[in-house]
Amino acid sequence: MSNILVIEDDDIMLKAIRNILRKDGHEVITAKDGKEAFEKLDNEQYDIVMTDLMMPYANGLEVVSRIRSNSEKRNVGIIVCSSVGNEETITEAFRLGADDYLKKPIMAGELMIRIRKLLANRSGNVKLVTKKK
Amino acid sequence: MWNDLVELLFQAYEQFSLLPLFIEIALAFIIIAIAATIIAYGAIMYKRYKSYVHEKRVAFINPIIEDLITEQVLLNDSLGRDIPTEEIEFNPEAITNKVYKKPFVRQILIDTLIQYRKNFRGEVGDLLRKLYLDMGLDKDSFAKMKSVRWEKKIKAVVELTQMDITISDVTILPLTNSTNASLRAAARNAYIQLSKNEPFKFFDIATEPLLPWDQLEMFKIITTTKDIAIPNFSRWVSYSSNKSVVSFCLKLIAHYDQQSAVPAVMELLNNKDHYFRADAISCLGKLSAEASEEKMVKIYNHQPLNCQLEILKAMGNIASGKYLEFLKSEFLFSSNFDIRMNAARAIIKHNTQNSRLLVEELMEMTYEENQLIIKHCLNPLIKY
Repeated sequence: MSNILVIEDDDIMLKAIRNILRKDGHEVITAKDGKEAFEKLDNEQYDIVMTDLMMPYANGLEVVSRIRSNSEKRNVGIIVCSSVGNEETITEAFRLGADDYLKKPIMAGELMIRIRKLLANRSGNVKLVTKKK
Repeated sequence: MWNDLVELLFQAYEQFSLLPLFIEIALAFIIIAIAATIIAYGAIMYKRYKSYVHEKRVAFINPIIEDLITEQVLLNDSLGRDIPTEEIEFNPEAITNKVYKKPFVRQILIDTLIQYRKNFRGEVGDLLRKLYLDMGLDKDSFAKMKSVRWEKKIKAVVELTQMDITISDVTILPLTNSTNASLRAAARNAYIQLSKNEPFKFFDIATEPLLPWDQLEMFKIITTTKDIAIPNFSRWVSYSSNKSVVSFCLKLIAHYDQQSAVPAVMELLNNKDHYFRADAISCLGKLSAEASEEKMVKIYNHQPLNCQLEILKAMGNIASGKYLEFLKSEFLFSSNFDIRMNAARAIIKHNTQNSRLLVEELMEMTYEENQLIIKHCLNPLIKY
């Protein structure tokens, strides 16, 4: 079972994503803003972090940047899920280290497939790293 | 008791009438002020109480609604099994629960479904729409359309648009021409989004203006709505008597690069309204309509400043190279700073061997202020 942190300031979306991912068999922890997300990131290890972009306290790009700058959490898969669809923001998210970008409105099926793919890629990468060692 | 009160009031009035006039006026003001304060305070308290009750109700009903949507839509077992959404059935007991018969619950349910649909598309989005229809919430929205209050009508239009429910032309078209600007804008936006074949039919009957902000909103909707049937906008340029519709169509012609509209737009160069002419010139420039250059140069000297500036900008966009001498003379001999600036920019925008030679020549032969203008226009980091 994978551990997923969902960061989203919209209550409805947060509960909906949590329910969808739980149905797909994942352990889901939620955070309503950047501040709560940082606290949860400090206290626990996650396989995937799914974050919105526009949130109070710290935006999604700051979350991505902070995860990638932390050597212990560098391997966490990051999916950005936002209604912002301009090229600049999307490329900035990828430049900072996001693995995937979902534009709202999202498709539940697509979300589950992307999560599964990212988890599969991650486990593949981890195996490669341990083999090299 | 009643008689005592009447007698007391009568005595008070008698004493009041014995007072000097300015005291009477002051007392009257005091009584009116106290009464107004009590009424205002009462109204505020009543409103606060109403919103408190509403919040309590919402807090009570929200979890029930969220459970319904979670169980019937998000966690529906039929999702992801290639079953068409129309064939997916909801639990009849869940959707016919007594609680969903209360009007305020139904309104909260509609608002929540809309919120979900803003976040989900695909199968989940379609299933949310089906839940809205199966629970008969569309009837609530249509009932609101019949309300005399314009706010309710707007709410209904927005709800039906968000849920992708077709509204008949007979109902929506009159609203696109309503005297109320907000209702008009909501109805027009809805019409564009919902009408599959002729989303711009309301242009034909529009007598009320398209306000600049409405144009901006509409432009966003037109350019972001998928599978919208884009017509040839020159039809309204030629025949519409609504100036704002023509002006908006000129922007759309330029955006969709409708080259077939060039002759119709060129006709507007003869229009009496100089704002119109300026819009038409700008449109021709964006369309790079080389055929219009000769006419623009011909009319240039008789135009007001805004049209002259648009002509210079258009010539920079068209950049045929045929009128470099004209641009040169405007740059060298015009006394107006904006004209010199736009003429220089138009020459530079040509970006050909001849134009580059001309820029060099101008830099050598002209005086200091004009040289500064050229340097300013040559700087790629300065856009305006």
